[in-house]
Amino acid sequence: MANTKSKLLSEWDTLHNNGPFTVKLLYQTKLEGERLMPKKIDRYNDAAIEIQRLINETRQAGEGFRAYGSAWSLSNIASHKDRMHYNGSMNISIPIQDTDCHQNCSFDHTNLFMFQCGNTIKEISETLAENGKSLKTSGASNGQTIAGCISTGVHGAGLDIGSVQDYVVGLNLIVGPNSDDIIYIEPESKPALHDNFIQSLNSRIIRNDDLFYAALVSLGSFGFIHGVVIEAEPVFLIKRYVKKINKQLAFELANTMDFKNSAFKIPEETDAQGNGKRPFHYKIFINQYSDDPNCIIELMYKKPYRESYPDPFPIIKESIYRDLIHLFVKIAENFPKSIPWLVKRLRNTILPEVNEETTGMLKEIFWDAPYQGPAFACSFGIDHKHSEKAMNLLGKLTRDEGPIPGIFALRFVKQTKATIGFTKFPITCMIEIDGVLWKKTRKIMSLEEYNRRMIEVLKENDIPFTIHWGKNSDWEFPGLVKHMYGNKAEEWMTQRENLLSSEMQTLFSNKFLNTIGLNALIV
Amino acid sequence: MRQIKFFLFIIIISILASCYSVRLRNENGAQQPDPFSNRDDYYRGMHVIEIDTVIDMKLTSGDFTYLIKENDSCESGKLNIIEYRNTFGSVLLSAITFGRKRKVKIKYVCEKSQN
Repeated sequence: MANTKSKLLSEWDTLHNNGPFTVKLLYQTKLEGERLMPKKIDRYNDAAIEIQRLINETRQAGEGFRAYGSAWSLSNIASHKDRMHYNGSMNISIPIQDTDCHQNCSFDHTNLFMFQCGNTIKEISETLAENGKSLKTSGASNGQTIAGCISTGVHGAGLDIGSVQDYVVGLNLIVGPNSDDIIYIEPESKPALHDNFIQSLNSRIIRNDDLFYAALVSLGSFGFIHGVVIEAEPVFLIKRYVKKINKQLAFELANTMDFKNSAFKIPEETDAQGNGKRPFHYKIFINQYSDDPNCIIELMYKKPYRESYPDPFPIIKESIYRDLIHLFVKIAENFPKSIPWLVKRLRNTILPEVNEETTGMLKEIFWDAPYQGPAFACSFGIDHKHSEKAMNLLGKLTRDEGPIPGIFALRFVKQTKATIGFTKFPITCMIEIDGVLWKKTRKIMSLEEYNRRMIEVLKENDIPFTIHWGKNSDWEFPGLVKHMYGNKAEEWMTQRENLLSSEMQTLFSNKFLNTIGLNALIV
Repeated sequence: MRQIKFFLFIIIISILASCYSVRLRNENGAQQPDPFSNRDDYYRGMHVIEIDTVIDMKLTSGDFTYLIKENDSCESGKLNIIEYRNTFGSVLLSAITFGRKRKVKIKYVCEKSQN
């Protein structure tokens, strides 16, 4: 049997110290050993029974339950004041066979894999690489669990790919303690798995587009995500370039996405007519405190996989003294005017090296995160056509009402089908400011105040926006979710009500959901 | 007096400079997690095993091998990260005992089990 360790706690924190948040009990479920239960599917189903036992235990105690993975989200989205469950030890992977596929399956079965919730992006990428496959995209690093990624909408900078949730083809959820509370959802319009395979997971089959796309970015509130079926693709290489170009040109590309006719070209990345190729990934770095007319951009192009390519990793990876970052924060809090100077001093640590060229698999290019200490990140999704205007407005705000200890970057992502996915625009520009956490003083505003002002500025200037679910924001801002998603927010709540009993809606709700007004029971 | 102070200063600097850590980490594989850990350093959220001991060697032994066992603390029995610390004291101990006593101060994290 899978076994669960538990510990009474008073508080829990995210990886980046954005809490602490209160909690009463923390669970960790470990799978039965392979020697006692050799078949993966048996261990997977055995774990489902254990999760249902925990859900029942929580229900009987009249408390709430929230699963989390790597704790990478910077808001309280992954926390619960009652009981939390660490999923990271539940990491079974199952390749889907031809016979496991639905008769109308349009996927190549060799690209389909089912991953248990606690698999991290790194683990998944390694499993896929062993099978000659790769994820289509990932976030900027690889530590998030698959369930965490899709629950919050983790994205990379795939112009024509989308976010992590966009290559999910089916979800295995546990929505209660009863035998018919294990369900498998996939879109009716694009079925993937055969009924027999789904039944081998002891799951009830639901083929429904609206429910699937609502559950895809669920904020952890559509039950316990036990397994995720994804579509991978044959392994490929990425060639990464870092260039310094005129800001105007960088934003012209951002606003038009026309790489073919742009004055900016990388000689190696042009077609037979000499026109620029469309990159796989495009990112702009903006130091809002610098009046340099140029900025750094990062472009990546997909290449066929080959055995020999230069090792993308250095032998030695140095990291900055944590005490130095602590000192930076203290100086920033007490002498905010020094922030632009400090950012400039740290630019070699923060920004990639210009003219750097790297080749590697997706899993090598987006490898382990270098810094895991206290950090903040605020990330807005806007239509890419507004990227320059939004950057100017948010940059001005940060200079005039800050300064704030962080710098901006813009990434561009294809539209999602998820009902409340924040990459909702045809090509969404994710404009984000990342930096080190600071405390409010008489001289520098708080992170909450800064977040509120960013929302106000975008609203005042009629720029439609969304906010990354896993990042910092003023989530209490009145009418925020309605403003961002309109009727889609209600659709999402309706689908949740259709799926979960009232009792389970309460059990799987947390403070974050209540704050943003997406808990139908208390709206 | 000034010479003594200078001599002490040099000794202190030598001792401090001779204490350092070296960390080796696999490019692949995830670390065995520990969600109950309170660590706030590089090893946050990881299941870290620390060894701080002195190995007594036989006169006839040239070196030794410390075996990493497969158990609850190291579920895979495979290493992912290892960090050893070299100190002036450990070098001195080995020197004055002619290599019979060897200080071992290491931290390691095992690979997360694959399923």
